[in-house]
Amino acid sequence: MGIAVIVGTAKGAAILKSRNRENWEMSFELRGWPVTASARDAGDRIYAAVNSPNFGVALFASDDLSNWKQLESAPRYRPEDRGNPEHHRLVAKMDFEGKLKSGGRFVDQIWTLKPAQGALYAGVSEAGLFVSHDRGESWQPIDGFNEQPGRENWFPGFGGLGLHTILTDAKNPDRMWVGISAAGFFRSDDGGKTWLRKDDGVHGFGGNCVHHVANNPDHASVLYRQEHFGVYRSENGGDTWQVWEDGLPVAEMSDGHRCSFGFPLVHDRKSGATFVVPLDGDNFRFPRGGQLAVYRSVDGKKWHPLTEGLPSNCFAGVLRGSMAGDQMDTGGLYFGTTAGTIYASSDLGESWREIASGLPRIMSVEAYVT
Amino acid sequence: MSVRVQLPPLLRHAMGGERWLKASGDCVAAILRDLAARYPALSLHLFDEQGEVRQNIVCVHKGAVVRAREMASHCVSAGDELVLTNALAGG
Repeated sequence: MGIAVIVGTAKGAAILKSRNRENWEMSFELRGWPVTASARDAGDRIYAAVNSPNFGVALFASDDLSNWKQLESAPRYRPEDRGNPEHHRLVAKMDFEGKLKSGGRFVDQIWTLKPAQGALYAGVSEAGLFVSHDRGESWQPIDGFNEQPGRENWFPGFGGLGLHTILTDAKNPDRMWVGISAAGFFRSDDGGKTWLRKDDGVHGFGGNCVHHVANNPDHASVLYRQEHFGVYRSENGGDTWQVWEDGLPVAEMSDGHRCSFGFPLVHDRKSGATFVVPLDGDNFRFPRGGQLAVYRSVDGKKWHPLTEGLPSNCFAGVLRGSMAGDQMDTGGLYFGTTAGTIYASSDLGESWREIASGLPRIMSVEAYVT
Repeated sequence: MSVRVQLPPLLRHAMGGERWLKASGDCVAAILRDLAARYPALSLHLFDEQGEVRQNIVCVHKGAVVRAREMASHCVSAGDELVLTNALAGG
């Protein structure tokens, strides 16, 4: 048994393999493509989402992590779908010929891939949800979400209007959650036909800039949430949220609110521990004082810093999709920085070590038992 | 009429490493539509959701840069070669 870590970077995918979580071998695949997300399905096929400002969005698939084949289909909106004006404003810098003036809606990035219930789901920007029932060979929009009233008023986060989080409930296939920066967190209880915002108790203004949410699909209604404005926990499927920051560093945010700030959040299913990587507020967006630190909560109440093996002179960020757990016993954890360094822990975060560096900006990290 | 089209290195991933593809058509736009019909994976990269040639794609034909808005009126001849690439976007 071994581990494979798929690191999506701005210029390709670094594939790190180890049989013992000590010695790692790396290859670099899909060279030149920004790799924004990856996933493995129940048949052990790995999917990697790529995008290019010149050549659009696509998906590659591999059964051996060496040979990659581009799929002939990808999530795409219909020609008649209308786009969100604020998202257009954010992505307009690449609109050299003014085509966004037509008002169309375009998929400009796949933010997350989620295998569940025999299907493969994709969350994209401009924010939308798609599903494939044939291993990515064809994609269908989930219109109950994508066409819901009010989307024209959603406001994008700094990275665009992206649907970056998809969560499922192993015991209730009709229930699903998605998170959009900065429209908020949504739940469906009818298989995706209708959706309700689930942001009660979460600080925000206008929309909610949810950064990442995790759960254990076997105990799905307990949700762990890293928001732009703080860290929260819900025990009722998101109906209500409680601030969960005891022990986390807090900073004054751009609106004066004091809370913890960060992007990724990982939940280790076997131990029940949760991990975040706080940054020093939304003005600075790097580890406080340069000390890179992972914070862990094992009881769902208090957080404790874990810094052994992490640098004290790090002024890089860690993006929302750039941390993952391998879900082994004891759980291994992996995260990458915007400065291209990957850190790994094989003891639930007690100690860390660098397993790769010199990579392009890291945009996504996933880990799998092989 | 048949022409040869050189792919940029990034798009060769989509075509199993192929550098040159054959396509038919009497103008650059028709050549790209023929490529898209023959190679669905490539079509994702050439055309956006509204069926338009992606805004930053250009073709070089006999040393001349052909932009997306010019492709329907830019004629080609049998045996020509086109270089498919993107507009310069560096510093």
